[in-house]
Amino acid sequence: MRGQETKLFAHIDWGLLGVYFILVFLGISNIYSSVFDPDNPGLFNLNTEHGKQIMWFGVALFLGLVIFFLESNFIRKYAYWFYGFTMLLLVAVLFTKPIHGARSWFGIGSVGIQPSEFAKIGVSLALARFIDLNSNLKERRTTNTAKGLSILWGIIPFISKNKSTALILGIPCSLVLLQPDAGTFIVFTSFLLVLYREGYAGNILLFLVISVIMAVITLIVADSNFMLLFTKIKLSGKTGIIIVLFILSGIFAAIIRSFVMKRNRKPLYRSLIGSFLVAVIFVNFVELGYSNILQPHQKERIDLLLGKIDDPDGKGYNINRAKAAIGSGGFMGKGFKSATLANASQRHVPMQSTDFIFCTWSEERGFLGAFILVGLYTFLLLKMVVVAERQRSVFTRVYAYSVASIFFYHFMINIGMAIGLAPVIGIPLPFFSYGGSSMMSFSVLIFILLKLDSERKIVLQ
Amino acid sequence: MRNVENRKYVIALIFLIIPVIFIVRLFYMQVVDDKWKDRAAQISENRITTYPARGIVYDRNGVKIISNEVYYDIHVIPKQAANTDSVALVKLLGISMEEYVTKMNKARNYSRRKPSEIVRQIPPNEFSQIAPELYKYPGFFEVARTLRVYPKKIAAHVLGYMNEANASDIEKDSYYKSGDYIGRSGIEKMYEKELRGQRGVKYYLQDAIGLSTGKYEDGKYDTLAVQGQNITLSIDWELQAYGEKLMKNKLGSIVAIEPSSGEILAMVSAPTYDPNLLVGRHLGANYGALAEDTLLPLQNRSINSAYPPGSIFKTVMALIGMQEGVITENASFPCNKALAGCHNHPTAQNVSDGVKMSCNPYFIQLVRRIVQQGKDKSIFKDAAIGLDIWAKYVRSFGIGTDLQVDYPTNVHGNVPDAAYYDKHLNFRWAFSTIQSIAIGQGEVLITPLEMANLAAIMANRGYFIPPHFIKSIEGGEIPEVYRTKKYTLVDSAYYEPVIDGMWRVVHEAGGTARRARIDSIEVCGKTGTVENFKRISGKVYQLTDHSNFMAFAPRENPQIAISVFIENSGFGGTWSAPLASLMIEKYITGTVSDTAKENRIINANLIPDADDIIRK
Repeated sequence: MRGQETKLFAHIDWGLLGVYFILVFLGISNIYSSVFDPDNPGLFNLNTEHGKQIMWFGVALFLGLVIFFLESNFIRKYAYWFYGFTMLLLVAVLFTKPIHGARSWFGIGSVGIQPSEFAKIGVSLALARFIDLNSNLKERRTTNTAKGLSILWGIIPFISKNKSTALILGIPCSLVLLQPDAGTFIVFTSFLLVLYREGYAGNILLFLVISVIMAVITLIVADSNFMLLFTKIKLSGKTGIIIVLFILSGIFAAIIRSFVMKRNRKPLYRSLIGSFLVAVIFVNFVELGYSNILQPHQKERIDLLLGKIDDPDGKGYNINRAKAAIGSGGFMGKGFKSATLANASQRHVPMQSTDFIFCTWSEERGFLGAFILVGLYTFLLLKMVVVAERQRSVFTRVYAYSVASIFFYHFMINIGMAIGLAPVIGIPLPFFSYGGSSMMSFSVLIFILLKLDSERKIVLQ
Repeated sequence: MRNVENRKYVIALIFLIIPVIFIVRLFYMQVVDDKWKDRAAQISENRITTYPARGIVYDRNGVKIISNEVYYDIHVIPKQAANTDSVALVKLLGISMEEYVTKMNKARNYSRRKPSEIVRQIPPNEFSQIAPELYKYPGFFEVARTLRVYPKKIAAHVLGYMNEANASDIEKDSYYKSGDYIGRSGIEKMYEKELRGQRGVKYYLQDAIGLSTGKYEDGKYDTLAVQGQNITLSIDWELQAYGEKLMKNKLGSIVAIEPSSGEILAMVSAPTYDPNLLVGRHLGANYGALAEDTLLPLQNRSINSAYPPGSIFKTVMALIGMQEGVITENASFPCNKALAGCHNHPTAQNVSDGVKMSCNPYFIQLVRRIVQQGKDKSIFKDAAIGLDIWAKYVRSFGIGTDLQVDYPTNVHGNVPDAAYYDKHLNFRWAFSTIQSIAIGQGEVLITPLEMANLAAIMANRGYFIPPHFIKSIEGGEIPEVYRTKKYTLVDSAYYEPVIDGMWRVVHEAGGTARRARIDSIEVCGKTGTVENFKRISGKVYQLTDHSNFMAFAPRENPQIAISVFIENSGFGGTWSAPLASLMIEKYITGTVSDTAKENRIINANLIPDADDIIRK
């Protein structure tokens, strides 16, 4: 028996597991502090959020134990099956009764299960499996032969060349949009980081950065007008951007003309024109999407972030209260159970135990606590990169990057929105936000990674 | 695998950049920038102010003349007031339906769960009708607050009134917050700092809908309210009330001072009003009505009006003449009616006669000797030197100077000097030009308070203590200045002939104030009749004369000095003198013996008709 046990926990990465336990412990203590009710002080009371969170942690540990008894090969082999199962759940959930306008929950008694949380595991496994099986195929390596900026419009040939990858990601993305759940959709785009690491579309990140900058500029000027210099012609903001893009293209053309040999100019001109067209289409698309597709509250959140509207007690209520809670924490914080804003009995910060849980932590623990927490997450993310990179198995490496990317997105968006650097998107902070589904799914993601990693020396694939 | 391996560094870099941005941002928000701390305090803390009771004001005999009373504001919590019978409620509260609807809408817009004010400051007698019915209207409840009450309904001008602090008050003194009450005039304003006490503050934590969830930091920053200091005034409320009764249907003033202490015993300005009118929810309307009244009831004529002194000024002239050595007490001047009009009387043989007979030519000749002393060859330069000497003497009697009374005012009389005439006359002047100052007409002005102070100087034979209202401050001291004697420039030895004249004014046949005689008390007084000019659309009309009278009593060890000024009442001896004698008798003996005299005064209506000018 003893030998078996040793084998079961052999080669476990104790550092990763340790950070996991620390985060869970801090998370539960923080929920306890934020919802503490002097009339009902029990830690294990199942009527309280912290009591339930402890229960979910127990369930997660049990799932972890089950995972440790599984064979790695079993996980690999049935990755698609699990993916298929979670996709079925995502389809099934569309037939439930909407809660707060979205069909995201299976209600079982008083307990709610959010299948999109488990879909993240399914997608991670399926993507890992797919890339593992196709690691020899050449076409995914590079996208096309075009160089320079023309990569921007290579996105369409990229999708057509990697239909299967696009499908694996596209199905869950479409399904969560149908719920609708914009937050989870955005989390699914985190897999782009994995694809980047695996050699897909090399400049996809540059492409993303340029598109984000262009989108932000478009959104800032979306509803405004300006007068053309020296004239009285009134132009929309969008037209202004297009004019600027045209001028930039002209400058690039002049540069090409001056510095590039004549015979090499032609393809460059072609990609320049292509880039210009793609950019114009993109700007129009963003403006159209912002003005016509986004729901009013989503538009509001973007306007608030960009500072286009300022309404601290109305539309900006949530974010204003959240920032006040965090900012008032000071260097040392107000102390355990001493939050005066992000606290269940004060109710100033809405959703303070779920989406805005970072507020309670920062208010009570101050900058010191926030620094430690950000540090712990950073350690977790970098540790995952290290774990991923030491794998000989492609499957495990892809899976590890998937987990890292998911955690990174949650970390970036959740804290970013609380401190006013990202729009308000309701996604949980791993191990801190109250919620059974997220506690279980994040734990399972980590446990599977630990299991796969523990066998890195045996697996030779 | 080309250089895909390097991409792990790009990813690791991204995983590092974002947390670094977060840390910088958090450091700025939490440690550097205080904006969010202020915002958090604004959101989560509620400061509740506890108001101390304002200090009580007593009269010189310890009777309350300003006190506090609980008034009631009616508040509503809109959420609880769903099915209100608004018609009945409006009737009960005594407001219009329109007002009710506006206030309710305002309350709902403000908050459905937090209380808003519907009616403010219902006096206790009205609230006793409302209280038993209020339970029928859920969501409506009363909030008590204390306001001023003036139980004796006297001395409105002296006591002053309070209203809400305005923007400039708040700017001047950071103690005041919007909605606070502040003394606006009179004693309420003068002793605001003593009376108001110290506000207390309690800090509470509040939740998102503004309900209290506990004390902030266990009350570490809370302060207790400190009760305002009680003060005692020198006013004798019975004398004051009696004076107001006598001044009914008259325009003018009475000021009574205790000569030995400078304490003001009574200060009446007529017409007056009930100070309780300027308290509570009708303050605005009542104030408006008083402000529009053409008889100027809000004007404190005792302090804030200056009139020519008339003949009472002659007493001062005689004193200056003797001190300056231009006459002796036995100086005699013929009644030369070419100098000024006069009534028929025997020639004044000495100062006492001059005062008793109030001979105009006597005093013009006397003052000429003061002003034209021959110190310069030029008559004009000589007059300027002499007038400045004269003015210095007159000012030493407190006339035209700041008497330092504890009452918010900046009005005082006028004593013209050489500079004054140089400025106001565009021709060369000598005494003959300005001789009417000798008989208290022309450019000389005096306030009734200065006149009473002059009476006190006569009573004290040469000094006064600045007149004041304050007698004692609980836990404080009255200013040193109210215990300091101020001497005139005339030696006390010269006062006796003038006082003798004043005694004869009241007691001898041919005196101008025989009606001021009281059998049991020796009154010394001097009447005055002031010519009353009014400029109406560029033309100057002469109206019925003002009458005044100053007196002190008894002649030895005087207890009271008094000035009475009645506008448009004719000769000084007719109304002012008997009125003053009633006040003196009332104060010294506590009763009035001559009820016929009393009734004559009380029943007289001396308010000028609109056609006063024509009648003249």
